[in-house]
Amino acid sequence: MTQFDVLSPVPGRVIELADVPDPVFAQALVGPGLAVDPDRSGPVTAVAPVPGRLVKLHPHAFVVQTDDGAGVLTHLGIDTVQLAGEGFRLHVAEGDVVAAGAAVVTWDPAAVEASGRSPVVPVVALEATPGQLGGLRAAGPAEAGDVLFTWAR
Amino acid sequence: MDKAEQILKALGGAGNIVEIEPCATRLRTEVHDAALVDEKALKAAGAFGVISAGQVVQVVVGPEADTIATDIEDLM
Repeated sequence: MTQFDVLSPVPGRVIELADVPDPVFAQALVGPGLAVDPDRSGPVTAVAPVPGRLVKLHPHAFVVQTDDGAGVLTHLGIDTVQLAGEGFRLHVAEGDVVAAGAAVVTWDPAAVEASGRSPVVPVVALEATPGQLGGLRAAGPAEAGDVLFTWAR
Repeated sequence: MDKAEQILKALGGAGNIVEIEPCATRLRTEVHDAALVDEKALKAAGAFGVISAGQVVQVVVGPEADTIATDIEDLM
């Protein structure tokens, strides 16, 4: 069994995944996790929540897969696919190997909110069972790089 | 049948698709006739869930959505 920490990709306030305004995330259809309601203080750089390879990289969402195959999805806002990359600046390329805490995408949560979308950031342990997650951080403020939860698999 | 073929069939076939667009976790699909969509078959094809609202059917397939959408477009 391996166990590792999953970090907050952005500064903000931790909320329950169930409180994300999107049924796919709220019902944990792609996996359990937490979400962060990001600070609206201007552009922020989302960082990798775990070390590994960027197996998927969209402007508004990315998946980092650890060496043993665990995938963590970070989704920057809800319905942000509709922005077609506008306002998102990538620092890495798909396939790159990154350290936990490495810069991935710079974006502006306030601008996403101004476009009428929620900037909430779900952080999802893909295809994990809820019992594999431990130490879930309680609702409240968090910095980028703070531990959101631990994944044992 | 591969996953893309199964999903396309369960959505009522190419003739039922108005638009199909991948997101990070799902295929956002607009169909002509929602009654032709077979949720059970979508789940059997590997979908984690299906969220329907009128003619918009979101098929939750996880991060492979973009690959599957490309495969489906190739079949249409």
